[in-house]
Amino acid sequence: MYAIEVSELRKSYPKKIPLPFRKVEWIEAVKGISFKVKKGELFGLLGPNGAGKTTTIKILTTLLEPSGGTAKILGFDIRKDAREIRKRINLVAEGERTLYWRLSAYENLKYFARIYYIPKSEENERIEGLLKLVGLWERKDDLVMNYSRGMKQRLAIAKALINDPEVLFLDEPTLGLDVQSAIFVREFIRKLVDEQKKTVLLTTHYMAEAEELCDRIAIIDHGKIIALDTPEGLKKLVKGEDVVEIRVRDFSVQKLKNFPWKLAIVREDVERGITTLRGQITEEDLPKVVELLVKSGARILSVEQKEPTLEDVFIKLTGRTLRD
Amino acid sequence: MPLIAIIEKELRMFFRYPLRVFSAVLVGIVFLLQFVFFGQAVLGGRYSPLLASSTGIGDYPTYALVGYVLWWLSVSPMEAYVWGIRRELQRGTFETNIAAPIRITELLLGLALSWLIMDSVLMMIVFAFGILIFGISLTFSILLKSLPILLLSFLAFLGFGFIFAGLVMMLKHIGPFAQIFEFAMLFFSGVFFPLNVMPKAIIEFSKILPLTHSVTAIRGIFVGKTYAEIAPSITWLLLLVLVYWLVGYILFRWAERITRVMGYGGY
Ligand SMILES: Nc1ncnc2c1ncn2[C@@H]1O[C@H](COP(=O)(O)OP(=O)(O)OP(=O)(O)O)[C@@H](O)[C@H]1O
Ligand SMILES: [Mg+2]
Repeated sequence: MYAIEVSELRKSYPKKIPLPFRKVEWIEAVKGISFKVKKGELFGLLGPNGAGKTTTIKILTTLLEPSGGTAKILGFDIRKDAREIRKRINLVAEGERTLYWRLSAYENLKYFARIYYIPKSEENERIEGLLKLVGLWERKDDLVMNYSRGMKQRLAIAKALINDPEVLFLDEPTLGLDVQSAIFVREFIRKLVDEQKKTVLLTTHYMAEAEELCDRIAIIDHGKIIALDTPEGLKKLVKGEDVVEIRVRDFSVQKLKNFPWKLAIVREDVERGITTLRGQITEEDLPKVVELLVKSGARILSVEQKEPTLEDVFIKLTGRTLRD
Repeated sequence: MPLIAIIEKELRMFFRYPLRVFSAVLVGIVFLLQFVFFGQAVLGGRYSPLLASSTGIGDYPTYALVGYVLWWLSVSPMEAYVWGIRRELQRGTFETNIAAPIRITELLLGLALSWLIMDSVLMMIVFAFGILIFGISLTFSILLKSLPILLLSFLAFLGFGFIFAGLVMMLKHIGPFAQIFEFAMLFFSGVFFPLNVMPKAIIEFSKILPLTHSVTAIRGIFVGKTYAEIAPSITWLLLLVLVYWLVGYILFRWAERITRVMGYGGY
């Protein structure tokens, strides 16, 4: 049995409240995705803003009704067995305000222990263990509002472990964290999978994070999975190709549109007027690319060979960067 | 019990800031005084024979205090949903709760109960204040006899408020609408002036509001009526408990289905 089994899952949001007899337009957010996650696997959904990552997680955690397709968590159907699923999973939702700021860390966990039906006899021991695990035991009685962003996220993770879930869903777990907190969170997630044998599905739009952390990655764009493999497997898609980064001044996006090559803007230094372009360009093509750029009025500052990364896979598949 | 946990959590957050509790009590008292003094100015004094003949209570402060306290309590569950849920929806804590295996109806009931308890504490203070400042005579037996009616009223208020639970989830922001409704109830339930000065249509409408019957019953007890004498109001309350719990529940299930299509968050 798979931990997560998703088949042809679809979701459209209504633009207005879909009251009976009311004609409403629908926005397609997830357009038929399928994937399977094995038990004990760390699976990543990688995609840009609006790709449909959060929508997918909300459907799988039974918070949102899908429009079509099926999904099973630990063999339970998300439509029919929501309660059974909720007992066995947990999630860290997007954003920093998913817990009560006017309660302390301890009070928060105590509350969630109760609404997850944790036996009272185990409650205190479990909360203490979790707070120690995420390094918040010393601050357990401080109100969450006085916590840093990183501490809040660590508490959100502790809450997500309160029912000792078999499957854990994490929506952009490092978004907005400082570098150190992000490292802590990534290492923590990896340990959950390696040592506690938990299944984790996380979303991210940081490709380095996906590459470093995940056993397998589904790249999702405009509600569709456009590639699914191990990080190494994905990088094979651009293996042997020459990834080039070109820094130019006075670049205009309009002119890039007519380019026959898939180049993407990876950085823009607005102050100095410098744009960094990146893409797969062969040795023969390089002079032509440079020539076209110069003709468009851009000034070339540097041309550099790079090691292919997941971002290049994304550029190759879509012609855009994850940040677009 | 998850229900207890919800109440514990809400009370903890409410009473964490004594200044806020104090200001809530102050608002409650100021509001009361305003209405009582305004009413007395209109009536031309504290005692009104007109009021006495139409309602049985001639002493305006007694009349208004009972109505006011019950009005405040009657809108409490509604406020819990209109403001309490909205706050949690906005912040994202609502989804964190929904994701747990606890039933959503239990979650909502817990929230409304918490607010009802907090408002009861508040109103006990306001009531005591009113009794003292207006020199209203009150016996222990009146209080004791009011208690079962009060509990029955709470049941009706909770059901009535539940109608708004679904609406808030679905529509997200109905605060302004709810506020108009709350103040309409002040007028349509005979809180500050007798209902029989109202047009017939409003008198009929007022019968579907639990507050109307709750106020009539408790005022009856205050002038020494027996349960038998206020039986019509009690019957009405029992009926409304059934109706509102049923209607509220059905409406909520319907709104919940629609909300699950749109998403709980979403601003
Ligand atoms: N409640 C909603 N109602 C209507 N449209 C929505 C709702 N939630 C999301 N959408 C739309 O659905 C699409 C997918 O959104 P989703 O939040 O799933 O993307 P995401 O991959 O999580 O993006 P991000 O990186 O910004 O979090 C977007 O176009 C978004 O505007
Ligand atoms: Mg998202």
